[in-house]
Amino acid sequence: MITFENIDVVYPNGFKGLSNVNLQIDKGEFVAIVGLSGAGKSTLIRTVNGLVPFTSGTLKVGDEVVDPRSKAKLRRLRSRVGMIFQSFNLVTRVSVLNNVLVGRSAETPTWRSLLGWYRAEDKELAFKSLERVGIVDKAYMRASSLSGGQQQRVAIARVLAQDPEVILADEPVASLDPPTAHKVMRDLRRIQQELGITTIVNMHHLDLARSYADRIIGMRAGEVVFDGPVEEATDAVIEEVYQRSLTAEDIVAGDAAAESSAAGDAAARDSATEGAVTERSVPAAKAQD
Amino acid sequence: MTTTADEATRGSATRAVTARPEAPKPSGLVYLGLAGLAVLAFIIFWVTRDSGEILLIPLGFVTLWAPLYPVIGLAVMLLTLLVCYRARVGTMGGFGALAFITMSYWAGSTVNFTLLEIPSRWSNVEPRLRAFLDPNWSYIWTVRDQWLITISMAVVATLIGCAIGLVLAMLASPVSSPNKGVSQAIKAVNSVIRSIPDVGWALLFVAFIGGTAHGLGPMAGVLALLMFNIGIVAKLLSETIDSVNPGPVEAADAAGANLTQRNRLAILPQVLPGFVSYGLYVFELNIRASAALGIVGVGGIGSAIMLQLNRFAFENVAAILIALIVVVLLVDMFSMYIRRKLL
Ligand SMILES: Nc1ncnc2c1ncn2[C@@H]1O[C@H](COP(=O)(O)OP(=O)(O)O)[C@@H](O)[C@H]1O
Ligand SMILES: [Mg+2]
Repeated sequence: MITFENIDVVYPNGFKGLSNVNLQIDKGEFVAIVGLSGAGKSTLIRTVNGLVPFTSGTLKVGDEVVDPRSKAKLRRLRSRVGMIFQSFNLVTRVSVLNNVLVGRSAETPTWRSLLGWYRAEDKELAFKSLERVGIVDKAYMRASSLSGGQQQRVAIARVLAQDPEVILADEPVASLDPPTAHKVMRDLRRIQQELGITTIVNMHHLDLARSYADRIIGMRAGEVVFDGPVEEATDAVIEEVYQRSLTAEDIVAGDAAAESSAAGDAAARDSATEGAVTERSVPAAKAQD
Repeated sequence: MTTTADEATRGSATRAVTARPEAPKPSGLVYLGLAGLAVLAFIIFWVTRDSGEILLIPLGFVTLWAPLYPVIGLAVMLLTLLVCYRARVGTMGGFGALAFITMSYWAGSTVNFTLLEIPSRWSNVEPRLRAFLDPNWSYIWTVRDQWLITISMAVVATLIGCAIGLVLAMLASPVSSPNKGVSQAIKAVNSVIRSIPDVGWALLFVAFIGGTAHGLGPMAGVLALLMFNIGIVAKLLSETIDSVNPGPVEAADAAGANLTQRNRLAILPQVLPGFVSYGLYVFELNIRASAALGIVGVGGIGSAIMLQLNRFAFENVAAILIALIVVVLLVDMFSMYIRRKLL
């Protein structure tokens, strides 16, 4: 369980990134955070693992109170909290396996990391994680030789190798084309359900949030302005969060193989409205950040 | 895309062409200040001039005189400023041009650079040149032991220098260092190491631990090359680290890696090609430097050159130098091959 109590984030330049955030995220929940660019989604997600230190309030992950000033405590916290990024953040020059093994760092003695000589059980855990995202056969390939969707799966495997309680994902599919975006989201959803890992995902595509999350949190100007189950996050509610009407850019093109009916609906809506939607939403996704 | 392009063309057809913006005019006041600086430089040149050549300026009722070269300098400076102003070069650009002219004038007049001496000494140069052009090829093999020492010195210095340089670079770059203080301190140490040239280090080590005369030449040579290499590798590599992709570094942080682990796992792989390339470069420099280091009493091929020079055996020196060129070329080709394989 993650609890935010009156959390404020003031950046070093004085900008207020979060103001008075109160949240409770239960164990095993899949939460999507939506909001326009600059709303504070990344800031919120990064306070959880201390990549952005909060400046006042109390933050708890499980039973542990997060202390952004203690490096040792942060490292211990981060070993329990995995993170996935928009740009995958793999070391492209080394093998997929070595990228996944970065997730074992907190449990690996420094001398082993220096020599690159991992324990057999750590390697086995890395292989298992790769198996879970279906690319174990690529283990000894260079990360740079994989496609975007495969690279993001390596990043998910890196997180799984941490054996985390929480997964944070900051716009994990924003640089992927729509079908791949759906595939990666399905992987995340499956992993959350199989392993019961609390998952918090930032996204700016409303249809993806509705298809894969249990709960949606809407943010605007550093504040939480909506928090409720997917069913309550109607178009009208989200328009209130965004302070504008919804456009084609808020929706990723549908995916033919989508299991969830909501994704199918979104796809149908897309193709019905305008042929240009599919073409336009892809560059829009890439232009973000 | 196409619709906006259409609109643009249609728009230009109907609407009048809008005025194109002009380049901003540089501040005349600053340029006047620069002209003042030019006059100041002129006065300094006048006061410190060596040459007595004088320029006479008859004005009818009175004849002015001024030293010839400073006046030419002033004219060039003012003309340059005028051109810069008319070309709307920014004030920093104008200052740069002025500084360039002033520095060249000053530097040239300080060292009295001239080529006039060479013909008058031709009788001295000619027989030596003749010996040089007729190298004693058989001598090359005689100094093989010295070659071996030179190459061993270069290898040892390169390996240890790169290892220490890697650690210093990691500590020096703010991206990989534990904190800002360490980074600043190590950068300062690096600057000091680099401010002493290879020959300077060689002189120091020969003075402290003894040179060839004490049988310690190679030792002093390795230490000198080592310091030289540490300075170069630490500097180049820390700048490479400054510009690594921060994404994987953040990912390692987020996975709970400690500083050493994240530097090893997320930064080292990114800078490895650069690191190897700097190592090869430094190895090349070491082979070259060994020729000069011999002169200050360090072992290796340089001391063989020194010995033959003292004996006026120019045909032997020529043979060694040609071998040196060949070796450097070979090393160069080898490192180019490795770099191509790597990048
Ligand atoms: N390091 C920082 N220093 C100052 N301001 C920042 C920093 N990081 C983000 N911000 C600001 O905080 C606001 C929220 O940013 P972010 O959390 O990245 O938004 P989102 O992820 O929703 O697009 C933005 O206005 C951004 O400019
Ligand atoms: Mg963001």
